Amino acid sequence: MSILHSREKLTLASELIYEIKVKDAMTRGVIFFSQEATFREIQLSLKKNRISGVPILDENKNIMGIISIDNVITALDKNYVNDKVKHYMTRDVITIPQHYSLVSAIKKFERYKFGRLPVTKNTHSNEITGILTMGDILNRLLVNIQSIAENVERKEDHNTQLSEKMFKQAKQKRLRFEVKKADFDNAGRVASIIRKYFQQLNIDKQVLRRVAIVCYEAEMNISIHSLGGYIAIEVDKSNVIITAIDFGPGIPDIEEAMKPGFTTASEQIRALGFGAGMGLPNIKKSADHLDLESSMETGTILKAIIHLGG
Amino acid sequence: MRLSQIITKCGLQKVVFCSDDEIETGYCGDLMSDVIANSANNSIWITIQAHKNSVAVALIKDIKAIVFANNVEVNQELIEKAKEEGINLLRSERNSFHICGLLYQFLEAYSEED
Repeated sequence: MSILHSREKLTLASELIYEIKVKDAMTRGVIFFSQEATFREIQLSLKKNRISGVPILDENKNIMGIISIDNVITALDKNYVNDKVKHYMTRDVITIPQHYSLVSAIKKFERYKFGRLPVTKNTHSNEITGILTMGDILNRLLVNIQSIAENVERKEDHNTQLSEKMFKQAKQKRLRFEVKKADFDNAGRVASIIRKYFQQLNIDKQVLRRVAIVCYEAEMNISIHSLGGYIAIEVDKSNVIITAIDFGPGIPDIEEAMKPGFTTASEQIRALGFGAGMGLPNIKKSADHLDLESSMETGTILKAIIHLGG
Repeated sequence: MRLSQIITKCGLQKVVFCSDDEIETGYCGDLMSDVIANSANNSIWITIQAHKNSVAVALIKDIKAIVFANNVEVNQELIEKAKEEGINLLRSERNSFHICGLLYQFLEAYSEED
């Protein structure tokens, strides 16, 4: 199935298949038969209900087997269509628990090449609560994508730009914070203040979180690695611009510093949970645009831009 | 699942309890940048990092509660900061692995029920 394999093109869909659970996509109200049913009865039901397979359940709805249209065709071909299915059905049925995510269902479809998966109540149960096909998965994805698209539209109406009033308010307030060297206790302070301030401006939550992440990591960087500096935050109509400036000693190799996991932090700092070598990569991930200049004489200037439109 | 249910089920000690929030998922980590990058909102965070910065991280990421594993010492300054910012603080004598295991079981079972 292409959903798993075209990840670059379908980032949203591949994110969704991790989030959506089987029970949210499956068809409830399953058509099923007991093992006393004949192939003929099942054939008529498949035709009438336009489905391509049915689970065979016992009186407690526990799975006993499964009959697909292929099995029915074979029965017609080999002349046992009036026999009971219990002598012929596949008993070793692959099922999936209802709280699993769609990605595990898709993996099973790919691996076993089935058209449908009976869904069990939980990992330790054989009780069937629904049935899942690729069609169900695609339907569910479309519904979710539709609602995301609607949200985006709504957001575009409201929040990609600050209102005139908010804009004036933001312009008036000069947001500039000093960050001291090795002041880990108070680090996180700038991010907290900025977060509260932007909350008042009614900015989209996701954007807000990214602004806070950039502020936090920039603040930690100044605190851990430099002699001190400051962070300034400006707002224009459609962007938040975060500038972090320190007074040295500068980054010798920016390319290296951008690599996830690269760190020059001391053992002591790392014991506190800082200096994991993820600061700059985190900033890069959160910002829409990142400029980083560093000189061994004057220090480092980091400028990150985040679009309010997300 | 409500935080109060989690506290009872996992036998956690309340250090700061401000609100009985709905917890959807959890994260475990002692590296701040890792937690910043990978934790989810409306979650519970298991860590051994008991300093003021932990509250800042929770606040930024909308983490509702922090569980300090291994009975690490929680100082008064941290408690004040958490109260001020409305972040729940909990503590356990168990290690992170055990707390995560318990929590995972309860949260999964809970999501199975509905």
